[in-house]
Amino acid sequence: MKEETVRIAQLSCGPEYSGVQKEIYTAAEAVGAEVFFPDLSLSDIRRNFRDFGLDVKSGDLKLAIARAVALVEGSAEADAVFIASCFRCAEAAIVRNELRRYIHEHSRLPVVSYSFTERTTSGTLLTRMEALTTIARRRALLARERQTGLTMGVDSGSSTTKAVIMQDNEIIGTGWRPTTEVLTSADEVISLALEEAGVTREDLDAVGTTGYGRFLIGERIGADLIQEELTVNSKGAVFLADCQHGPSTVIDIGGMDNKAISVLDGIPGTFTMGGICAGASGRFLEMTAKRLGVDITELGPLAMKGMGEDVPMNSYCIVFGTQSLVNALAEGHSKENVAAAACHSVAEQVFEQQLQEIDIKEPVVMVGGTSLIQGLVRAMGNLLQTEIVVPHHSQYIGSVGAALLSSGFVEKS
Amino acid sequence: MKETIPPLYAGTVTKYVFIESYKATPDDIAARAYEVSGRVMIKETCFGLQITGEEAEVERVIAHIRAFDPAHIYVKDRGFPPGDPRRCRANLGGARPGYFGHEYEMGFIRRIAIGLEELESPSERPVHESEQKETEGLSVKRLMELIEQEA
Amino acid sequence: MAEVFIYPATSLILSDLVARFGHKPLGTALSVRERIQTAGLDSPPLEMTPDDAKKGLRWAAVEVPSGVRGRMSLFGPLIDRAEAAIIVRNPDFAFGCMGCARTDELVEFLVKQKKIPILELDYPADEEEGIIFVRRVKEFLTGLGGSS
Repeated sequence: MKEETVRIAQLSCGPEYSGVQKEIYTAAEAVGAEVFFPDLSLSDIRRNFRDFGLDVKSGDLKLAIARAVALVEGSAEADAVFIASCFRCAEAAIVRNELRRYIHEHSRLPVVSYSFTERTTSGTLLTRMEALTTIARRRALLARERQTGLTMGVDSGSSTTKAVIMQDNEIIGTGWRPTTEVLTSADEVISLALEEAGVTREDLDAVGTTGYGRFLIGERIGADLIQEELTVNSKGAVFLADCQHGPSTVIDIGGMDNKAISVLDGIPGTFTMGGICAGASGRFLEMTAKRLGVDITELGPLAMKGMGEDVPMNSYCIVFGTQSLVNALAEGHSKENVAAAACHSVAEQVFEQQLQEIDIKEPVVMVGGTSLIQGLVRAMGNLLQTEIVVPHHSQYIGSVGAALLSSGFVEKS
Repeated sequence: MKETIPPLYAGTVTKYVFIESYKATPDDIAARAYEVSGRVMIKETCFGLQITGEEAEVERVIAHIRAFDPAHIYVKDRGFPPGDPRRCRANLGGARPGYFGHEYEMGFIRRIAIGLEELESPSERPVHESEQKETEGLSVKRLMELIEQEA
Repeated sequence: MAEVFIYPATSLILSDLVARFGHKPLGTALSVRERIQTAGLDSPPLEMTPDDAKKGLRWAAVEVPSGVRGRMSLFGPLIDRAEAAIIVRNPDFAFGCMGCARTDELVEFLVKQKKIPILELDYPADEEEGIIFVRRVKEFLTGLGGSS
């Protein structure tokens, strides 16, 4: 059965004039969604804009504000909201943030905001659009709190591939490998997980895939659920951290990009994804470990022994970050301090570039492979002034989320 | 927005004709336009007409209908041809942004109409050429005077 | 007949008055039309492409947001052509092509830099101002020469 088209309301200034409106249409269409502009009269625009109270000058931002108010008040209907404005525009950035917060606080509509340049492509927007449609379309599935039957989740990330087998709400098998060739790595981790669980492929009731390679692997193994990592990871995170009810914040610093997700009752409300440079990702920590001559698993404990404050390091750009790494070592700083400084720098980049785009609500849950680097978790906790929760199996978060959600298909099959 | 849209009506122009007349309805004006339509395409809309064709032809038709009630018929260029799916309300879900601009100006077009009528047949009504008010604000001197008065 | 840049460049009133009094109004409809009628762009709705933001570099530096540069590729050529301009100060609720306040500020500035005849006025607030508005526009346009 063909799924119903998800209607995404666009609140924006500038995409038509930057030549990227077509990219927005294309991304939405690829995930079975349709972008539209909520209809209003001029008097509605005047009233809504005045009532909202943010007195911006640009007409198209006034229009975006008025449309947001209409969505929240229910005079315009949508399944999800996409807020977009030009990168580097201060006026629009203020509107973008305030609208995202307003919609998140006053409605159940999933919302994502994005600042584009003329180089933005539909590929960049795809996962965000997919997450928006998943939240709108699969609210019932995302509300699932217990894993049932015997299911497997496979997470094909940019750095590592992971698989988890779950039975009756417990993890009974795991597999982990660096990602080389997508399908080969998947086969390996699946074998590892099945072996540990002591079951065979045929025993499985349902399978879910997520991550970059989700479509390829999902098709190969006939997955019941193929879903982007934003919704899957946040589900896995609140499940493992046992905070399925109420608000929470999920931070996943990945190998290629980072996710920050504001979750309510296990369902993402707002989220950001990306990061300007690998300098703000796990990749920089990998490089640091290599440069320090330690295994990535040793970087965390090393950083915990160090004090990063005295070591100047800025990984806004991975090239400059590496340069400051080399300089710091040349200046005679200890490995421990350099490791701590690298962790702080990555945390700071994520904090500055992404965490400003969502509302941080406690508990803050860190997941993904980088959550095992204690130094990074400590640095993030210091920046956010909170105790960060790192649940067990946090590196398997996508696989756990996929195994949990795919059990929604057990009864059906 | 699925299909690629070939350039429609290349080499033509499209003009909006807004009608705010008590002498004639948009229907009357449309009928008048059809009388001389020749090779232009006329589309009736809620606010008046859209006329598409070679520029000289479009101008000829517009001159003809404008003569009917000059102070109450207004014309403007449009980038898109009528009914273009890229700008159609049905496809966008809401009005194109330009629509609101027209709605805004049409809200006080009567003031322009009176200005135009006044040019044609100047009335006796006195109009103070104080120009439009320059809002310079209060001078310091005047402010001091006011404060002193109140004191 | 003079080519008269209108600001707001989407204004029905200014477009109408300029043409009515015998001149050619330069509004963004002309720039949009040019793109709509160009084959092979495939970038709905306005058929503006990332190239437009690059063309906009002629009027605004690369650090300026893409939407401003893209809009400038619509306005810039019109400003280049303009032999005169009519500017309505602080137009309220102008959307679309005029929907970015930063672009509007730059456009107004560039027009004023050109040293062409410029008429600046406000939208009429009442009938009396309407009479003055039309009279001033007509006087200005008549002063530009050509038929009226």
